[in-house]
Amino acid sequence: MKLGVFVSDYRNTIDTLDRLKAERLGIIFVQNGIYHAAIKEGGKPPSLLEKSANFYALSEDLLTRGFIDSDVDSRVKVINYSDLIDLIFNDYEKLAWL
Amino acid sequence: MATLTIGVFSSLVGSMSLDFALKLAETAVNKGHKVNLWLSGNATALAKKNQKHLKDYSHGEKPLRALLEKGVEVCSCEACTLARGIQKTDAIEGIQWNAMHWYLAKIHTSERVLHIGGE
Amino acid sequence: MADTKLAFIVQRPQYKSENPKLGITHAISYQTVEILLEDGETVTPTLCFIGDGVLACLKNQKAMEAYGTTSSEAHVKTALLVDLNVLVCKEDLERFGITEDKIVDAEDIGAEKKIQIVPFETIQTEMDSAKHLLFF
Repeated sequence: MKLGVFVSDYRNTIDTLDRLKAERLGIIFVQNGIYHAAIKEGGKPPSLLEKSANFYALSEDLLTRGFIDSDVDSRVKVINYSDLIDLIFNDYEKLAWL
Repeated sequence: MATLTIGVFSSLVGSMSLDFALKLAETAVNKGHKVNLWLSGNATALAKKNQKHLKDYSHGEKPLRALLEKGVEVCSCEACTLARGIQKTDAIEGIQWNAMHWYLAKIHTSERVLHIGGE
Repeated sequence: MADTKLAFIVQRPQYKSENPKLGITHAISYQTVEILLEDGETVTPTLCFIGDGVLACLKNQKAMEAYGTTSSEAHVKTALLVDLNVLVCKEDLERFGITEDKIVDAEDIGAEKKIQIVPFETIQTEMDSAKHLLFF
């Protein structure tokens, strides 16, 4: 075939998440971020999960994408929206959406 | 209980991040917290009434009306909304219209702020 | 007198999505927030560009000529004119090979402030001292 491909996104490899420092870091997987918690590429879990942080994944977003709790890496805690509100008010004073 | 201000810039229908913001706001309010919701960029389409709820599509009007009834303050960025051809007469009743400083003022009085940028 | 410090972090390039531009304009709106606050209360933003976001600070953006829309360069100049602290990540500029002479300056419109090119560590410190973070 003769194929012309439009490349309309520029995304560099430097990850903001790698650069952020915090005395207590929570990484909350929501929306398509839950794939970090549930997918292995080449049989290996994402290197992101090696970071020193508390990991959480939103159950509603896991379920939406066809995953159940047992699919989730053991380092990640599955939470729902109610748990998420508690985390926001009780555990993390500042929030960043990447 | 405390105040959460959510700024959401993600597209109505085109991004489920807006659905996330609405569900999070609902959960916070049900748990007794005060919630402010700022709509800017493509999220301002949420302000328009008469959205048809089709199963294949995200839907914002019904959850938004429910939030307004529960006392959530919802404000749409006037410039962003008008730029998209949405007039005040087209808007869901109860939504405020203001400039970006409304968001900053609400942030000033909030214990927590979640800014959800657009894609 | 209560002041709320905010860190606006623009990490993505401009134009394809309007959101990185909204980061700049929202920061600029601190100029008028006082009309909605109690007497003596203020909001103080710092506008930071990191990652691909530093590309917003290039000179000679011709968005108005090409698309009839205000350039992000013009918004950054306004940010400097209204005395916002604007920080740009040194490491990211170096990664792109962008030198200081290629960066926006607002002297021509009477701004006293200049863009500050700083290590990421300085931006991290701003984030630590801000009450809230807004990533664009």
